[in-house]
Amino acid sequence: MKQNTYKIAPVLLLCLMLIPFSTASEESSGMVLKIGTPNVVKSASILGDSNMGVFAHLSNPTLMKMAADGSLEGLTARSYEVSEDGKTWKFIIRDDLYWSDGEKLTPEDVQFTFDYLAENYPAAGWMKETVNDISTQDDAVIFKLNKPYSRLNLEFATYPILAKRIWESIEEPMEYTNEGEMLGFGPFYINSTDLGTGVIYFKRNPHWKGASPNFDSVEIHAFANMDVLSLALEKGDVDAYYKYAGTYPYPSVKKLEDTGNFEFVEKDNIGLIFLGMNLKKEPMSDLSFRKALSYAINYSEMLKLDALGFGQVPNAGFVPPSMMNFKQTAQLEQNLSLAKSILDSAGYKDADGNGILEGKDGKDINLIFLTRTDYQRVTELMVDYLKDLGIESEIKNVDSSTWIKQKDAGEYDLTITRSTPWGMLMHANWGTGYFDSRRTGEGVLHVLEDPEFHKLCDDILAATSQSQLQDYAYQVQDYYGENLPGIALYWNKVVTPYNKAFSGWYSDPLYGIFNVDNFLSVEKSR
Amino acid sequence: MLSGKKATRYAIALFLIISLNFFIPRSMPGDPLTNLLGEDISLTASSVQELRERMGLDRPLSQQFLDYWHDILRFDLGYSFHLHRNVSDLIYDRMKWTLLLSLPAMVMGAILGTLLGARAGWKSSALRRTQTGFIMAIYCAPPYFISLIALYLLSYKQGLFPLKGFYSTGSALDIAHHLFLPSAMMTLFSLSRNYMIMKGSVLQEKGSLYATFARAKGLYDEQILFRHVFKNALLPIITLLALDFGFILSGALFIEIVFSMNGMGSLIYDALLSRDYPVLQGSFLIITIMVVSANLLADLLYSYLDPRVRWQ
Repeated sequence: MKQNTYKIAPVLLLCLMLIPFSTASEESSGMVLKIGTPNVVKSASILGDSNMGVFAHLSNPTLMKMAADGSLEGLTARSYEVSEDGKTWKFIIRDDLYWSDGEKLTPEDVQFTFDYLAENYPAAGWMKETVNDISTQDDAVIFKLNKPYSRLNLEFATYPILAKRIWESIEEPMEYTNEGEMLGFGPFYINSTDLGTGVIYFKRNPHWKGASPNFDSVEIHAFANMDVLSLALEKGDVDAYYKYAGTYPYPSVKKLEDTGNFEFVEKDNIGLIFLGMNLKKEPMSDLSFRKALSYAINYSEMLKLDALGFGQVPNAGFVPPSMMNFKQTAQLEQNLSLAKSILDSAGYKDADGNGILEGKDGKDINLIFLTRTDYQRVTELMVDYLKDLGIESEIKNVDSSTWIKQKDAGEYDLTITRSTPWGMLMHANWGTGYFDSRRTGEGVLHVLEDPEFHKLCDDILAATSQSQLQDYAYQVQDYYGENLPGIALYWNKVVTPYNKAFSGWYSDPLYGIFNVDNFLSVEKSR
Repeated sequence: MLSGKKATRYAIALFLIISLNFFIPRSMPGDPLTNLLGEDISLTASSVQELRERMGLDRPLSQQFLDYWHDILRFDLGYSFHLHRNVSDLIYDRMKWTLLLSLPAMVMGAILGTLLGARAGWKSSALRRTQTGFIMAIYCAPPYFISLIALYLLSYKQGLFPLKGFYSTGSALDIAHHLFLPSAMMTLFSLSRNYMIMKGSVLQEKGSLYATFARAKGLYDEQILFRHVFKNALLPIITLLALDFGFILSGALFIEIVFSMNGMGSLIYDALLSRDYPVLQGSFLIITIMVVSANLLADLLYSYLDPRVRWQ
């Protein structure tokens, strides 16, 4: 007995020591759907933390949503109409939406949201320059613009609708954090956010009048380590995987398949990996040089080595087929002899016979290849392709902040980067936001100063009909194909694994499986 | 005792390091605004300017430096625009967990490492050679790899421990359950380092004249080791423990990443990537204070254990 007491004593002592650290955390109850993600939420701020902002769409849906085919439909809005001049947009708000405390969602909440975001949320600063007035009329919210703006419905597929009575007293929305219950009007609302465990707990909204969800709660479990997240999936600790603008790692897909317990949602990505060039510097400003580069790349090899074949060889038109108004342009191909002859005709010759081509200034071409760890393998392949062409390049591997800084300062020649789904849609759509020199942003290159391209972007923004938009979309893709401001390296698939015990998964091109419709359709198989 | 000269030296070191803490983050390319909103968010020029003003980045560097010292003297560590909280609250929240994870591991690693290392250095046997081989393998292997293997075998395969986090339900037992494996891994790494140093140190000391004299006096092995050799062999370990103590907050980074724990290591790492100056400055300040205090403590311990240091 005495011996047992000695054995138990250290355990008791440890527990006593841990009591000050004890914390009330939520426990799962009822039918729970658990999603594992590498998108770690660092603060419980739905407007200040980009990951939290994505997850909050389940509790605070957006005004519009993107359907599986890329078209736009109402979400909080039942329908919408736009005037012929494209300057008045009227969104009819659904009348069956209720906040989780039982209060009805009103058009005033929607009006408040956009007035408030325009004034206080830097990422919505464009509204101050575009929207003249927001008003309500019965069950509609009317936006009067100072110029036609074809993308308003698309922009409104990203901002969460906020409760006026809560947010009107909050002066700095990005700094507002709440780890407790947050009012929501979606099928689920955020019951708590535990940053210590990295879990967001959603509960079913008792006042939701739409199709009934098949779960009592949804939990988002964040993992700092991708390998451990894969183990958690296999072990059944989480039921599905989600990553915004990303796929489940291709090398790990086979292992999950082999367990026999998983199925996959495979969706063509509207984002892509591409070769960016500093068009403000020689020789990248020379179209012949860019064309030669495009023929130097072995696209099939790149697709096989970097994406394990989950995708396809891209076209010169850059924009992937999964985007609305895709136009078929010439497929990119490797043709080294053609690449060399283009360079030769354009005056890039190896006059001194050292194996390296000289630029128009007579000096050996030695390019700075700015890259980040995520793109190391692709960059190394690119360096080899350039070498085959007689072009030397030096890899400069940096962290994300340094990449942004050096990219903005133009301290590079070539870079490998990616476009996210929203990135492809931002600005004038179809990837224009990455190239237009009038733009700034963390991920964009803003290197294209061509007035023809600028005009095309402005025309898209001012378009007033779908047929006009389609026409401009085709022109943009032709422009990309002819001028190659960026070269797509491959179009890939987004692979999202889920446990076979669940069915009914639905993915949209913008947020993947993290959309309201999906959480209403998923159910546990019998 | 701490002399006036030494105290002045510590005060100057503290001033210089705290000043460096301001300049080091700013010497990296970028600033806190560079990586604030996400890769596909675009800002208008006026929004950028507004944010720079709010973050104090529009002020001259000299002014920012003065503000920095002004805040430190008022014990104000500033505000993180990336994490939307006061830095002191953030550090308090993360530090308590990291200390809970690292401190027991450091203490256990020090005690076990020195005792086992001392014995292994003092007398060789087949068992001790095997033990040294095993510990050397741990010492040489990357902590990330070993931790992942342990997690795979014990958490995934055997299901003995959770895969992530400091807790799930938050009860004391639950926390202990979550902390056991990461803490045991840290203990193992600390133990292996201390073991190897102590073993080498004892090997060196046991050939000294005083050890031979003690044996000639007829003392038993255990008495020679723990009364005479141990004390002298301990000196390099004290220096290392002082360093360990200083880096106890940031040293658990790999463990925090493998076990998805939101501690100080990941806080500093994320702040470094996002150029979150206030968090970096605040964390560096705490580390500075800990390093300087640990060195001070090591100084005092040295003079207690080694009379030669006292006489100097």
